[in-house]
Amino acid sequence: MAESEADVAVIGGGPAGLHAALVLARGGLSVVLLDESDTLGGQYYKRRTDQLTAAFGDFRPRGTELIHRVRAAGVVVRTGTLVWGAEDAGRTLFTSDVRTGALGRITTRATLAATGAYERSLPFPGWTLPGVVTPGFALHLATMDRVPVGQRVVLAGTGPFLLPVACALLEVGARIEALVELNHPYRPSTSAIGGALRQPARLAEAARYLLTLARHGVGVEQGARVLAAHGDTQVTAVDIGQEDGGVRQLETDALCVGFGFRPSTELPRLLGCDTRADPTGTEQLPVVDADGATSVDGLYVAGDCAGIAGVHAAGVRGQLAAHAILRRLAPERAPVRLSGLRRRARALDRFAELADRLYPLPTTADIPDATQVCRCEGVSAGEIREAAATGWNDLHGTKAATRAGMGPCQGRECGHIVAALTGRNESWAECFAARMPIRPLPMAATVEGQDVP
Amino acid sequence: MNQPDVIVIGAGILGASAAFHLAERGYRVVVLERGAPNREGSGTTAGNLHIQAIHTRRPGQEVPVDSARLLPLQRRASDHWSQIEERLGADVELRRGGGFMVAETAVQEEELREKHEWERKAGIPTEVLTGDEARKQLPLLSDRVRAASWCPLDGYANPLLITPAYLTAARRLGVEVHAFTPVTGIQRVGGDYKVLSGERSWTAPVVVNVAGPWITEISALAGVGIQMSPVAIQMHVTVRVPPVMHHLVQHIGEGMSVKQVSAGNLLIGGGWPAAKLDMEGRSTVSVPSMAGNLAQAGRILPFLGDLRLLRMWAGPLAATPDEMPVIGEVPGHRGFFVAGGTYAFTLAPVWGDTLARQIAGDPPADPVDDLGPGRLLHDDATTPVSP
Ligand SMILES: Cc1cc2nc3c(=O)[nH]c(=O)nc-3n(C[C@H](O)[C@H](O)[C@H](O)COP(=O)(O)OP(=O)(O)OC[C@H]3O[C@@H](n4cnc5c(N)ncnc54)[C@H](O)[C@@H]3O)c2cc1C
Ligand SMILES: Cc1cc2nc3c(=O)[nH]c(=O)nc-3n(C[C@H](O)[C@H](O)[C@H](O)COP(=O)(O)OP(=O)(O)OC[C@H]3O[C@@H](n4cnc5c(N)ncnc54)[C@H](O)[C@@H]3O)c2cc1C
Repeated sequence: MAESEADVAVIGGGPAGLHAALVLARGGLSVVLLDESDTLGGQYYKRRTDQLTAAFGDFRPRGTELIHRVRAAGVVVRTGTLVWGAEDAGRTLFTSDVRTGALGRITTRATLAATGAYERSLPFPGWTLPGVVTPGFALHLATMDRVPVGQRVVLAGTGPFLLPVACALLEVGARIEALVELNHPYRPSTSAIGGALRQPARLAEAARYLLTLARHGVGVEQGARVLAAHGDTQVTAVDIGQEDGGVRQLETDALCVGFGFRPSTELPRLLGCDTRADPTGTEQLPVVDADGATSVDGLYVAGDCAGIAGVHAAGVRGQLAAHAILRRLAPERAPVRLSGLRRRARALDRFAELADRLYPLPTTADIPDATQVCRCEGVSAGEIREAAATGWNDLHGTKAATRAGMGPCQGRECGHIVAALTGRNESWAECFAARMPIRPLPMAATVEGQDVP
Repeated sequence: MNQPDVIVIGAGILGASAAFHLAERGYRVVVLERGAPNREGSGTTAGNLHIQAIHTRRPGQEVPVDSARLLPLQRRASDHWSQIEERLGADVELRRGGGFMVAETAVQEEELREKHEWERKAGIPTEVLTGDEARKQLPLLSDRVRAASWCPLDGYANPLLITPAYLTAARRLGVEVHAFTPVTGIQRVGGDYKVLSGERSWTAPVVVNVAGPWITEISALAGVGIQMSPVAIQMHVTVRVPPVMHHLVQHIGEGMSVKQVSAGNLLIGGGWPAAKLDMEGRSTVSVPSMAGNLAQAGRILPFLGDLRLLRMWAGPLAATPDEMPVIGEVPGHRGFFVAGGTYAFTLAPVWGDTLARQIAGDPPADPVDDLGPGRLLHDDATTPVSP
């Protein structure tokens, strides 16, 4: 096992991790920045291939610049490196080379988890058909590869994220058959507008998207939802339940459905930090102070994995966590004034709270029994309800009884739905425990790595 | 049913099996379980049906099991398992694909021959093969394998299914299973035991303490001092792959067991110690144990190197100082039975049947007097508590 050391390990090279690494390295600490993907940038500052950049320009030049500064500051960057486990309050990290499987161990004095988020999917009849994808996947195809996910696309779910995805699809030539938003965010009550007005830049961004859509004749249908997708080998039609109770069927060749993001909290939970329910009541978030410090001494969390708040909040929170780590490990080099950063963080938090209020999640109560919930193991909502009804199964018992959550994703995708359907505990968000390895690990290196005579 | 005939404490495989066997004999049984059933040793076990002698020691284990003594019970267990799906009316993914126990050295090969002798005496069919003979049957075995014993009766049952199947069958026979009902007190009331869970209570002349690693704790509530040593050991599981291996593979010299389960995942274990035993929650896995166990398994079955490790976990078990199982009525505490310890998964049907016979006053199918709890009693074992 390859061993290395650093003052600080930053896990995740998205906006939060990049900003943090920069502050830490400029503060004179030795920093290793780990990311399982091949390139830095995370979800927002994704990198286009060189050919595509040459043809269509840099996708997000600010990201390029930030990454450049991080490298120039002397941060040791290790992409293609998965952190699959941790112990000792995060001072020991276990890594694996994504390509070769080679194992490594990193010892640090403090660790910042900036592992971002996953998209949230909710099951409905037909959601496992090819052609049904998440908005993030569609956006990735459109921005990274310049390929539309389909010619005629239906976008549905809830959240502000549906808007940029729709715009990106239009840009690569797709037709948006419908943009179906579960809630009514775009005729908000006056009090909600009051909150939003404190973030004019964010409001302007949303307005820009809505204008682009309007220019293409795409309206946002509010208060409506996808009831089912149809097709034999590929999605061909979608049933949309309308506000007035009517149902309309649309032909389509791609359906993107998403319900916002879910924090990726496995590492902090693995290390046993205190957690609390997130605003949706379906996830357990690490409890952090204003600087991202957790209840585990020396472990910090920033960005979407500490609570979904978007790219700007991620950057600010990453910097605040880095300053706190500097105060801890190199107090003489820690800056004095952070009030501007803190003010910014609070404003962005308020904006995130507003988004939580505007885009509530639908109930899981009406997922039909026949609908598959755990895709890896092929377990239906009915089987989960039945297991829970024995009266002797809690969330973990239900997992054991049905195998829901035992597949390659280890319940990352379905855990929150299984928990909702099992529903023994209404007072807090139960979820599957985080376990090592947090992603499936190639065994080659382990199996060959140790020769016992 | 607040006054059943028997109160079973713990809904692991032993509690479930005992409840089923007692109900079959017409006893009215209540099972009390702290959390969800089958979450501890029985739900985290490797699930091997060890019919050939397991002479191996877990890493850290101080004394070996007395294999020769256990073999008649393993023989009996094998018969029970053969009928279990029919008796319970359930599919428990029982597989009797047989098993190899491999040796890498001359000394280990000698041990194979020695245990083969005991197995012959107990009526368990085994044969000792050369490495090449073993590889002919299972080409996945590496060149390191010098010899192997083969037993066609070895197998596996899905631990996630068997205990619930026992409980479901027991319920059909009238057993009440109270999950999320931790036992918090045990009082002697006349000739009976009053078992409390918070405000609730049940009274019966017979209590069966099958609380696994918590046997000591539950016994103490009744004023019985029994010495067990809980440990946590760990398991590793790969992602699903198409069927490649139908046999159980173990090592005579080292704690190792590998098999492919019905779902397609390969399960790798062997009793390697977890980093930390946690009796309140889930025990912590050990990365050095992972590396050690996988390296060793890969040395015997190199194809494992091409797979992905999906997950690892640690589960608790209750060992006795002599590494032998414990079963029977506690001397001086009429009606208070305990059962647990070594290879409780394999032996669960036998132990359920044995407990039911003992409670009924019938002789067990195989004598077990030497495995009674008397040998584990503390010197300071107290007298029964009276209200
Ligand atoms: C497709 C998409 C488009 C978006 N568009 C917008 C937008 O227009 N405006 C906006 O405000 N927000 C947008 N967001 C949200 C925004 O991207 C996030 O809020 C922001 O990226 C959060 O930054 P982060 O640093 O917390 O996490 P991320 O950017 O998600 O970065 C996390 C990084 O951690 C790495 N990682 C995770 N786990 C491990 C591990 N165990 N080992 C090693 N590495 C690991 C990941 O590979 C990833 O690179 C979008 C999100 C997505 C998914
Ligand atoms: C990783 C691992 C691998 C193993 N591999 C094998 C194998 O391959 N073959 C084999 O034969 N054996 C194996 N064993 C051993 C065997 O599986 C276990 O010893 C056996 O399952 C224990 O069953 P049990 O019913 O005695 O205890 P458990 O399954 O531990 O059940 C005890 C129950 O008592 C309950 N309890 C505790 N306190 C209270 C209370 N106060 N009130 C009410 N209930 C309470 C617990 O919640 C628990 O459900 C393995 C064990 C482990 C951990």
